[in-house]
Amino acid sequence: MMPYGLYIASVLAALALYMTAPRRGYSPARLGMLLGAMTLGGLWIALAKHLPDLAGQWTPLVYYYLFSVIAIGSAVRVITHRRPVLSALWFVLVVLATAGLFVVLSATFVAFAMVIIYAGAIVVTYVFVIMLASPAAPDAVGDDSPTYDRAAREPAAAIAVGFLMLAVLLTVAFEPLVANPRAAGPSDQRVLSRDLTQRPPELTPEGPPEVGKQAASVDNIERVGLDLFRGHPLGLELAGVILTVSLIGAVVLVRRPIAPEAAESPRDTDVRDE
Amino acid sequence: MDLQFAILIPWLPALAAALCGVCCVKRGLRKLAAPTCILSILGGFLVTLGISGRVGPAGEGHAAAQHVIEAFRWIGVGALQANMSYLIDPLTIVMLVVVTGIGTLVAIYAAGYMAGDRGYARFFTGVSLFIFAMTTLVMADNLVLLYLGWEGVGLCSYLLIGFYYQKPSAVAAAKKAFIVNRIGDLGFALGIFLIYQTFGTVSMADVLAQAGQVEHPTAAHQWIPFLLMAGAFGKSAQLPLYVWLPDAMEGPSPVSALIHAATMVTAGVYMIVRLLPVFELSTYALPTVAIVGAVTALFAATIALCQNDLKRVFAYSTISQLGYMFLGVGVLSSMGAIFHLFTHAFFKALLFLTAGSVMHALAGQLDMRKISGLRTKMPITCWLMFIGCLALGGFPYTAGFFSKDTILAETMVVGLGGHAPLYTILAVVGLITALLTAFYTFRLWFRVFLGPTEYETANEHHGYPVPAHNGDIQVQHVHEPHEVSWLMNAPLVVLAAGALLAGVVGEHWIASMTPGSVPGSAATAAHGAEAGLHDSAATLFGMNVHAAMMLISSVVAIVGIGAAGYYHWLNRPAAEDVARRYPAVVHLLANKYYVDEIYDRLIVTPLRTVGELCYALDRLMIDGLVALVGFLPRLVGLAVQPAQRGVLQGYGLGMAIGVAIIILVIVAVT
Amino acid sequence: MNSSADSLILGHFLLTSSVLFVLGLVGFLMRRNLIIMFLCTELMFQGVVLALVAFARFHHNDTGQTFVIFVLTIAAAEAALALALVMLLYRRKPTLDTSAWSQMKG
Repeated sequence: MMPYGLYIASVLAALALYMTAPRRGYSPARLGMLLGAMTLGGLWIALAKHLPDLAGQWTPLVYYYLFSVIAIGSAVRVITHRRPVLSALWFVLVVLATAGLFVVLSATFVAFAMVIIYAGAIVVTYVFVIMLASPAAPDAVGDDSPTYDRAAREPAAAIAVGFLMLAVLLTVAFEPLVANPRAAGPSDQRVLSRDLTQRPPELTPEGPPEVGKQAASVDNIERVGLDLFRGHPLGLELAGVILTVSLIGAVVLVRRPIAPEAAESPRDTDVRDE
Repeated sequence: MDLQFAILIPWLPALAAALCGVCCVKRGLRKLAAPTCILSILGGFLVTLGISGRVGPAGEGHAAAQHVIEAFRWIGVGALQANMSYLIDPLTIVMLVVVTGIGTLVAIYAAGYMAGDRGYARFFTGVSLFIFAMTTLVMADNLVLLYLGWEGVGLCSYLLIGFYYQKPSAVAAAKKAFIVNRIGDLGFALGIFLIYQTFGTVSMADVLAQAGQVEHPTAAHQWIPFLLMAGAFGKSAQLPLYVWLPDAMEGPSPVSALIHAATMVTAGVYMIVRLLPVFELSTYALPTVAIVGAVTALFAATIALCQNDLKRVFAYSTISQLGYMFLGVGVLSSMGAIFHLFTHAFFKALLFLTAGSVMHALAGQLDMRKISGLRTKMPITCWLMFIGCLALGGFPYTAGFFSKDTILAETMVVGLGGHAPLYTILAVVGLITALLTAFYTFRLWFRVFLGPTEYETANEHHGYPVPAHNGDIQVQHVHEPHEVSWLMNAPLVVLAAGALLAGVVGEHWIASMTPGSVPGSAATAAHGAEAGLHDSAATLFGMNVHAAMMLISSVVAIVGIGAAGYYHWLNRPAAEDVARRYPAVVHLLANKYYVDEIYDRLIVTPLRTVGELCYALDRLMIDGLVALVGFLPRLVGLAVQPAQRGVLQGYGLGMAIGVAIIILVIVAVT
Repeated sequence: MNSSADSLILGHFLLTSSVLFVLGLVGFLMRRNLIIMFLCTELMFQGVVLALVAFARFHHNDTGQTFVIFVLTIAAAEAALALALVMLLYRRKPTLDTSAWSQMKG
């Protein structure tokens, strides 16, 4: 039953997204958002049946729902908003929601790293560039978006492909639950239902301490740091090199003198462009 | 002289050909081409004379001694042994004397005739190559080497007929000669294959020995002579493969003299004489040869009566005289055939070369109707040609008289003595032809040299017409006809002497040299097919057949000459009267019985249509197929092209679809 | 805080992660603005990172989180260079429309 549910949910979600996609003329965006929300809610409700016994610990789940809604909703707005600047701002919201999800997963370091680096640096850079590369005054009264952002490019094909992939991914993601609900032994269900932070007996380090498998009481930052510097020093160095190279590269690239091509009005084609 | 020197005979001219080829390329050496060629052929001639002492003549009733000299191994595959080895026997010596002797004389003439021509060195390269091939043919010890020489002379004939290669008529004539020869050569090749299959060898000595032993000839044995005959008819221009020889007159006159009068066309006769025992395997072979020879002789003579082109008359006369030679072979008179070959070489070469002198003097004018009375302008040429014409016509005691008479007498002897009326008829045909020969020969001579002196020059310079108005080049060829230089006349004098004396002097020599040729008997002792029939018991008009025939031939010749003199010297309007009274006959003869047109309709046009069909098929189907194979990838490319839009997201979409499908497949499978 | 997450199911996180990823993919294919296209690739990164951390938590292996740091690094570098290139392209033609750059057509 579950797979069909997934597929139906995917189709509905695809339809919802299609409706919210930017287009000329009347746009059933709100309807689409409503449909999307309903689909997501329905899916969660269906999944709730399979939740193990929470034993009263349902706070993380609530937080999960909350942050997921924010993340997904903001993501939808990122991809369907007409004005590029606002797309970037919605993206900031996505980052924040994702950071929240990380916190729920007890990955505090990466949560804040994401906020600082992504929302703080990358998105800011994007916004700067958007501002710099804005075209001249738009030609439609009341519509501030650039002409080429007013309509999506072949939304049907893109959405179809995307949600095909979603169906596939979800099938893979939920497969253990569907296939084997009553497995004996350390099945996924059982593993999932126990305390995720509790170390299973077989993972207790008895021999030489494994990288990354420290005592439960060590801080998250410490653990990540130890794993990074002990397990992946080369990666660390390379990351540094890459950052340096990209910095220098960006500076060099932008300073090149580029002659503008013969003035050509941006093609103002309709939705079915291409 | 040691017999090993015989290797020089073909290979000196081959070397000369290579050297003349060098002269073709290097401008400065052009003058050397002629002496090189002449000296090489002269060398061959001297060697021939030198070794002739070593080769004993045929005795009474037994074949002459044969010597084989091997130059080098050529083909040795299993049972097939065909080496460059030369058979030297008296017949070879006779042929070599003809080839190298006439060759030297013609080459000397040509050195003067072709002077100033742009292809001077090319000409002598061709001539040297020709002499190489012809001597190889004549000296060959095995049939494959003979075929090599056969093809070689065909090739050189093609090269030399088409010497003025920018003239379309010359090119067409060269092709015609080569192709018609090829038809005959096909028969010849098949004959050689059949010989190899039945006798297991291609060495001539072995084949002849085996052929002599055959008691009961099988069908294969009987086919061989007919196949070989086809080759001989092609090369020697007999019916039905004679059509190339008149057109071959497009080549320069020395070529006509050497190749198409004296040497190449006699190769067929030589081949049959050599392989007589093989021809006797079938009882119908030799009579066929005789009949074809006689009929051709008459046929060609009638055509020659109404031809107006100097060289064409002589060409048809050559065909006619070759017919005589075949008639001689057909009655097993190899002595007669070779004798006639020998004398014919002299006077025919003389005639062609003097015709060449006339042409040269009149800047290419060859039409008899436009020339008259040249005796005053070119006396030496006039009397030289007179001697030649006497010999051709068979005037008593010229060389031609003796040789022609030998053949006719032998035929009559076989006819009367052997009670074979066929041969009597053939002999009469021969006599009629002799009458016609005398008539048309002297028609030409009387027309051209006697009578009032009036002539029209043409405007050819070395074979090509000269344009009328040519600013720079001052062409002085509208000139008075004058005698040719002494360099060109000297060989003609030698030839004339030969034409007169070769008969008397040569008869005994030839008789001693040809196999089994005791005068009066026309069969070898080994092939005593009709040996017993040729006794002098046959009589004609109460006299010995030979004596009677001599008398009749003389009368015929004189009557012919007299008639020609009347109609074409003393009373020329009478000739036109006769022509007007029988216009149909004149047209038929002047147009050569329309044989060329018939061949064209029946054979050439269908073949050309087939060729064009094949060409169209090739272009359409095969080239089309290849083009299609080339076009298919383009088609595929055109079909796939719209997928490349150039926009980034299109590619991204494609990638995403691909990844999705792959994941789907993986998930579905696992 | 650690003990409060024991009731969560890996699948939920994967659901969110997949949805984010797919939304990013769709946005990449759908939008015509060059910069927003790259922003959608960043959205895809978000989904991936979430999946990484969820699995890291599930398998008690901190390498996942370490990998997140690397992903951040690369994303930053890539963003810098991509935007630099976009700037260059913008100088060429004063538009951000991806349809303007289709010279590799056919």
